[in-house]
Amino acid sequence: MIKLLAFGTAIVAAGVSGAIAHDEEMLRQAPPGAPWVQVSDVLPLPEFIPGLGTLFVNPDTLPAGPFLAYDRDGALSATVYMTPLQELQNGTSYDGLGIGAHEVSGVDIYFNAGHPGVEAPHAHVVLYHDEDAKRRLAE
Amino acid sequence: MSLSRRRMLALGGGLCAALSLPRRPLAAPVEVIEMRGTARGEQIWFAPVGLAIAPGTTLRFINADPGNSHTATAYHPANFDRPRRIPARAEPWDSGFLLPGDSFEVTLRVPGVYDYYCIPHEHAGMAGRIVVGTPQASGFVGSVEPGDDLPPEVAAILPPVDAILARGRIEGEDR
Repeated sequence: MIKLLAFGTAIVAAGVSGAIAHDEEMLRQAPPGAPWVQVSDVLPLPEFIPGLGTLFVNPDTLPAGPFLAYDRDGALSATVYMTPLQELQNGTSYDGLGIGAHEVSGVDIYFNAGHPGVEAPHAHVVLYHDEDAKRRLAE
Repeated sequence: MSLSRRRMLALGGGLCAALSLPRRPLAAPVEVIEMRGTARGEQIWFAPVGLAIAPGTTLRFINADPGNSHTATAYHPANFDRPRRIPARAEPWDSGFLLPGDSFEVTLRVPGVYDYYCIPHEHAGMAGRIVVGTPQASGFVGSVEPGDDLPPEVAAILPPVDAILARGRIEGEDR
């Protein structure tokens, strides 16, 4: 089990997305409340996306996120980032991003060709918050 | 009862009898084009990506991708000022966003080549080509070579008209 305490501390110290770190308990169960919005409420996407679950995002943080990924029982299961490849290649960096929970059991990074909201080809960076999260988000 | 009233009743009876006759469906041919994608969205495509049909065929686009939404949108200035890549006399179409399991139908009657794309996935090369009729058909409008008007990913994915006519259909996976 990877503990991202150092990462979380750095976020708080930098003052970027510190509210996310402090309000971690409020994010554990969907809906997380303002400023988070359910992605499927504002974009033509399924309410539950196999592999990502039900997503919430603060629109101000698009495109990178964080996106909070909840399972069918509304439990926070992963934090997801979406970083357009062309933007990275052009020199854009996405620093100081928030995180939904500080405990991370695994990380997946993979290519996505695009979808409403983040049309450009991009990478999905998925931080799972418990050992069973990947299975729950898959179905 | 007046004559005119008897005639009206007779006409009504005849109409009822005609309506009660078994009706032969006026079935137009239907072809299905699926929007597909890999589980994590690494690849998305229309299947088939190239299809030859007879004039008057109805196309049914079905979103068979469980994790993404798609559109089937004709290349035409009426659709987001995109270049016209369907016959001039043909009606452009735009399905709007289709969620998983949703479908959309359009009937193509004007002979020629129709190029279309998926709005959120155009730059990932999600596009397709329909050939209606054959070049020997009256009024057939052939394809225009893709130029700067299309993303290179789309230009690379559209099958040649000759190949579509020769094979009838070209699946997305074997493009």
